[in-house]
Amino acid sequence: MIEANGLSKRFGAARALDKVSFEVERGEVVGFLGPNGAGKSTTMRILTCFISATGGTASVHGHDVFEEPLEVRKRIGYLPQRAPLYGEMSVWEYLNFVADMRGLDQSTFKKRMKSIVEVCGLAQSLGKDINTLSHGYRQRVGLGQALVHDPPILILDEPTSDLDPNEKAEVIKYIKEIGKERTILLSTHNLSEVEAACARAIIVSKGRVVADGPLDEIRARSGKVRYVVTVHEQKVYEGGEGYRAGARKPPTATEVQEALAKLPGVTAVSELPTDDKAHSFQLMGALGADIRPEIFALVVQKGWLLLEMRRDSQSLEDVFKALTRGDERRDRGRKLAVDEDEDEDLDVAPKRAVAAGAAGTDDDEDDDEDRDDADDDADDKDDDDDKDDEAADDEDDDKDADDEDDDADDADADDDDDDDDEPPAKKA
Amino acid sequence: MSPTLTIAKREFRSNFDSPLAYVVICLGLIMLGFIFFFYNGGFWQADRASLGQLFFWLPGGLSVLIVPVVTMRLLAEEKRSGTLEMLITLPVRDHEVVLGKYLGALGLVLVILLATLSYPLFMFWGWWHLGSLDSGPLLAGYLGLILYAAATVSVGLLFSTLTDSQVIAFFITFFVLGALVLMGNFANSIPFPAVRTVASFISFDARLASFARGLINTRDVIYFLSVTALCLMASFRALERRKWA
Repeated sequence: MIEANGLSKRFGAARALDKVSFEVERGEVVGFLGPNGAGKSTTMRILTCFISATGGTASVHGHDVFEEPLEVRKRIGYLPQRAPLYGEMSVWEYLNFVADMRGLDQSTFKKRMKSIVEVCGLAQSLGKDINTLSHGYRQRVGLGQALVHDPPILILDEPTSDLDPNEKAEVIKYIKEIGKERTILLSTHNLSEVEAACARAIIVSKGRVVADGPLDEIRARSGKVRYVVTVHEQKVYEGGEGYRAGARKPPTATEVQEALAKLPGVTAVSELPTDDKAHSFQLMGALGADIRPEIFALVVQKGWLLLEMRRDSQSLEDVFKALTRGDERRDRGRKLAVDEDEDEDLDVAPKRAVAAGAAGTDDDEDDDEDRDDADDDADDKDDDDDKDDEAADDEDDDKDADDEDDDADDADADDDDDDDDEPPAKKA
Repeated sequence: MSPTLTIAKREFRSNFDSPLAYVVICLGLIMLGFIFFFYNGGFWQADRASLGQLFFWLPGGLSVLIVPVVTMRLLAEEKRSGTLEMLITLPVRDHEVVLGKYLGALGLVLVILLATLSYPLFMFWGWWHLGSLDSGPLLAGYLGLILYAAATVSVGLLFSTLTDSQVIAFFITFFVLGALVLMGNFANSIPFPAVRTVASFISFDARLASFARGLINTRDVIYFLSVTALCLMASFRALERRKWA
């Protein structure tokens, strides 16, 4: 339904899009993710024929966006960022205007309005001026205008920005509702919304597609699990095996690090900053193996006083951060070119697997080339630690790993390391 | 209804959603009334059944007051608030947007012109019976004013398309139209003959003067139409520029 092929866009010297390619199939709800300025809106504006690409082609519903902009626009319902509407018109007037512009006659318009009012929850506000509406209601009107002509394709640019959490949930609910029989491309930088509404996501960063596939697959991208282990710096556990064996001295940081590094499956150990009397380390382990029992056994054997041990689940957010931060690095680019796309696709969603999978691999190839080109000017501002931080992976819970990272160590006394966004947790 | 007319209709009606249009129209007509009847003795001392004063003051009033105010929001406001994106991604061609906007604004200016028709109606055919008016110069004068309005609105539209600030659009339109209207007066005092020729050629008031005398000169008609077409084309290009810039 939507096909972008090597779209490039330059604004003067700045490169906003760099060979962006993707495909959206009929009936898919696809999340279009990326940090601010990644090129989401630019892509959408090109797809809706508002601006022209500098290079590449795109087609919507089989119509080229450069050759037949009118045909494309007829089939698209588009909600630009922030839902810019004519504030001085009432909701009904505005929707009527859009219907007129789209060549709907009055009886069709009224028929359509019945369902739109219901889906978008506009019954109470039809007579109000748009200026007087809250953001949430404006977004509803924006959605309404995108639906007036019953389009097969919807392109929604950050439909939930500026909304309060309740309104966000509402809008996402509408989108799910609407998405049952339509193709939807939904841009946002709120990842929980994507997880709520979409089965597939395309992640763009600095004008490139860095990931494209079903959410599960994207979550599994980095292939690593992160563990955090914190032991006391000045005390040992009296009564432990090590204490009885004669270890009365608290461990030094090097000792702990070396011991942890020897555990099976650990690929990297790095010290985390702490501001209390503890050694804190993060370990990177392979996906699929859980080394918490080994860590526990080690600690008991050494007689250390364990303050915290947790295994970070890999959320979409982690992958997002990992993908969109250091994306110009060659090695990171390599990692993303996952060739198993097709297989996993088949497992997860058989019906769109063929096309999406094929598209996915195409993209990956493109990306590779891009990255090679861009390596010259790749800035190395992200260091390796940073990358590893993000690169943990798990299917457990969605948890904000990064938040915990930062303050994992100035923890006070809480437990339960599996809770979301908890203040730093420690276990005695 | 075609998209052009739909846009024009919306544009025209949106003028009346804010008090601005009312204020401008009312103040404009009140000022015109005072100037026409009382300024320098006004109509009464002229002792002639002529609307010459009307045709003398109206163009200036339109140029410096009404046209800049009416045209400043046309596209500048759409660009600033982002509604342009919404409008253009409807199935509409760029030139339909420009034309629709233009017709909407021109419609309002023509309504104001129409309102001034009350002068001759009241004075010469209606209640007052001030004498029999020569209808030739009247019709020619109004034809001139309509052409003039068409040209000035297109100039205003162009500047509104070029910027996304209403204030800038207003002031540039104000000064450009003001200059074009006053140029005829200054043209004679320009020392360089070549410049003088050019100035009097492009000045709006010199061309309107012949209409007010009842003389419809094809050169003047074509001049106003050319200015209109030129500015509309330029606006269209300026709007299209968004695609590439």
